[in-house]
Amino acid sequence: MKLFVKIFLWFLAAIALMVGVTMFVTRTFQTEPLMGRFQRSTRNQMQIYGGTATQIVGAEGDAGLRIYLNRLRDVDPPREVALVGADGKVYLGGGGDIADISDLVSRTLVSGAAEADFSSDERSLGAAPVTFPDGRQFVLVLQWDRQAPQGLFWGSTLGYLRLAGMLLTGLVLCYLLALYLTSPIRKLRVAAQKLADGDLQTRVATSVGRRRDELADLARDFDVMAERIESLVTSQQRLNRDISHELRSPLARLNVALEIAKQKSGAETQPILDRIETESTRLNEMISRLLILAKLESGSEEIEPVRIDLADLVRDIASDADFEAKAKGKSVEVSSAADCTVIGSENLLRSAIENVLRNAVRYAAEDTKVDVSLTAGNGHAVLRVLDHGGGVPEEELANLFRPFYRIGEARERKTGGIGLGLAIAERAIHAHKGTITAKNNGDGLTVEITLRRAESPVVKPT
Amino acid sequence: MDKILIIDDDEELCELVSEYLGVEGFAVESVNDGEAGLKRALSGDYDMAILDVMLPKMNGFDVLRNLREESNLPVIMLTARGDDMERIVGLEIGADDYLPKPFNPRELTARLRAILRRAAPADENGDGSEKIDVDGIEISSASRIAKSDGVELNLTSVEFGLLHELLKEAGKIVKKEDLSESVLERKLSPYDRSLDMHISNLRKKLGARLDGSERIKTIRSVGYIYTVV
Repeated sequence: MKLFVKIFLWFLAAIALMVGVTMFVTRTFQTEPLMGRFQRSTRNQMQIYGGTATQIVGAEGDAGLRIYLNRLRDVDPPREVALVGADGKVYLGGGGDIADISDLVSRTLVSGAAEADFSSDERSLGAAPVTFPDGRQFVLVLQWDRQAPQGLFWGSTLGYLRLAGMLLTGLVLCYLLALYLTSPIRKLRVAAQKLADGDLQTRVATSVGRRRDELADLARDFDVMAERIESLVTSQQRLNRDISHELRSPLARLNVALEIAKQKSGAETQPILDRIETESTRLNEMISRLLILAKLESGSEEIEPVRIDLADLVRDIASDADFEAKAKGKSVEVSSAADCTVIGSENLLRSAIENVLRNAVRYAAEDTKVDVSLTAGNGHAVLRVLDHGGGVPEEELANLFRPFYRIGEARERKTGGIGLGLAIAERAIHAHKGTITAKNNGDGLTVEITLRRAESPVVKPT
Repeated sequence: MDKILIIDDDEELCELVSEYLGVEGFAVESVNDGEAGLKRALSGDYDMAILDVMLPKMNGFDVLRNLREESNLPVIMLTARGDDMERIVGLEIGADDYLPKPFNPRELTARLRAILRRAAPADENGDGSEKIDVDGIEISSASRIAKSDGVELNLTSVEFGLLHELLKEAGKIVKKEDLSESVLERKLSPYDRSLDMHISNLRKKLGARLDGSERIKTIRSVGYIYTVV
C-alpha cells in the first residue's frame, strides 16, 4: 500500500479511536451516573409534589388543588402541568402542548411511586401518583424543557454536529499531514529513479523546499551522493576516452612502422609481421569501439532525430550480415519485416542492430540460419534476432551487455569477438529510450530490441 | 613524381609516413600545424594533401574550408575512428576521401593513387572528351566540371566520379559494387557506408528537382539510380 494511504488511514484510525474512547469514558463515568442522580432527584421532587397534592386535595378540595397546580406551573421557565385520571383522561390542567403520556401514567399507577422520562431530546417528563380523599387514583404529570445532561456525541443534534466536526477536521489534517510527509519521499524516489536511469545531474534538495527535518537532511545527503557518483562516473568516462584517444597515436605510428618493416624484410619474416598486423588491427578495433562506448555513456553523442524506416534499415544490415555469414557457411534471413518507422539517429541504430546481428552470426553454428524478424506492436517495434549457437548459461544472460564481459574465454577468443558489440548496442538502444534483452531459445540465443514507433509512417521519396 | 603534403601534428608519424610513401614512389613533405599547412597547401607545389582533423593553431576543418575557397587540391582527411560526425563534416566541406586514424598505410597508398588517377586529366585515353547532359545537369569528363543549369557545381573528385557513372546509366540502377570499384577503386565491403555518404553529399549539391523529387534515388542494398523524368 502507498505510504500516503497508510499514514492517512493510520492517523484517521487514531482519531476515530480517540473519539470512541472519549465517548465511552464520558458515557460510562460521567453521563450515566449524572443521569442516574438527576433521575433520582427528579423522582424525589415528583414524589414530594404528589404527596403535597394529595394533602391539599384532602384538606382544601379541588379549588386548593387547582391553586397548587398553577403554582407548580408558573415557575421560570414555565412547565406544563396535568392531572390525569386512571382512565387516561385529563382531569385538571393540560392546556398546553403535552406529549403522549399514557405510557408514563400507567407506569406510575402500577408502581404507585414517582416516575420520570428523559427519553426525548426536547422535554422531560415527571409523574407522581395523587390520591383523592374518595380514594380515586390520579397522576400528576409535569413537563418541562429538557435540562438533563446529554451524551457528548450521541443522542442529540449538537452531539452529531460535534462528532462530524471532529471527524472532518481530522480528515483534512490527516490528509495534509500525509501529504507533508510523503511528498518529499516521492520526490526523492523520482530523483533516485532518474539517477538510476543515468541522469547523473539529478538533484533534489531545492525541490524539497525550506523544511528543516530528517527528510530535508535525507534530500541533502542524496544530493551529496549524486554529486559523488556523477564525478566518479564522469571521471571514469573521461579516463576511458582519454586513454583510447592517447593510444591511437602510437598505434598509428606502429601501423606505418610495421608496413615499412614489411617493405624492407624478406619472405621469411612476412608471416610474423602479418601476425603483428592482425593484432594491431584488433587493438585498433577495440579502441575505436571503446571510444564509441565512452561517447554513448557520456551522452555526448548527439542524436539528430530523423525518421527511419526500420524495415528498410534492418533489411539493409541483414543483407550485409548475410554476405559476411555466407563466407563462414552460415546465413541470415529476414523472416518478417513489418512496416514501422522510428525516430532517432540512423547511425546509432544501425550500429546497434549491426552489432547484435554480427554477434549472432559469430556464434551461430555452421550450416544454421540466423533469423531476423521485425514486428510492429501497439506503439512499439520489436526486432528479434534468433541464432542457433548454443545460447549462454541462464545466469550469464544479464551480463551479456556489460563491456568486455566474456562467457567462456576460449570460445570468445576463437571467434574473434572483443566483447564490446552488445555493450554498444545496449547504450545505443537506451539512448533511443528502447530496451534490449537476451534470452535462451532452446539451442541458441534470442536478442530482442524494442523501440518506440513514430506516429505516422515515413513519406517515401518518389 | 607526385608530391604529397602531410599536415599532422604528430612529427614522428609524419617521418614514418614520409619514409613509407617514399618507398612507394611519392615525394612527401610535412607540416605540423594548421596555419603553416594551409599556406603550404595553397602554394601550388603539391599534387595532394593528407590532412589531420586535430591540429594546433587551426583545425583540419578550417584548413580545408579555407583551402577550398581557392584551390581544388585533392585532400584525404584523417578522422577520429568511430566519429561519424567528423567523417560527414569532412566530406561535406569538400574532402575527396577520409581515412579513420589509425590507418592502414597500404590503404592510404591505394586511396592516394585512386584520387590522383581521378584528378589527372582524362584526355590521355581517348574517350576523355565525353560530355553528358541529362535534364539540366551537364558534365564534361575532360575538364572534370559539372554544371547544373549552367552553374558550376563544386564537386569533389569522388562526387564527380559518382555523378559521371550515374549519368552514363541514367534511368538504370547502378550497383553499389560497381560504383565502389569504378569510383573508389576498391571492393565494396559490408558495413562500409562511405558510398552512401558521398551520394548523400552529391544529392545535397545537386538539389532536388523543381517538383521536389530527388534526382538520385537509393535502391536499398542494391545501388542507386539517376531518375529520368
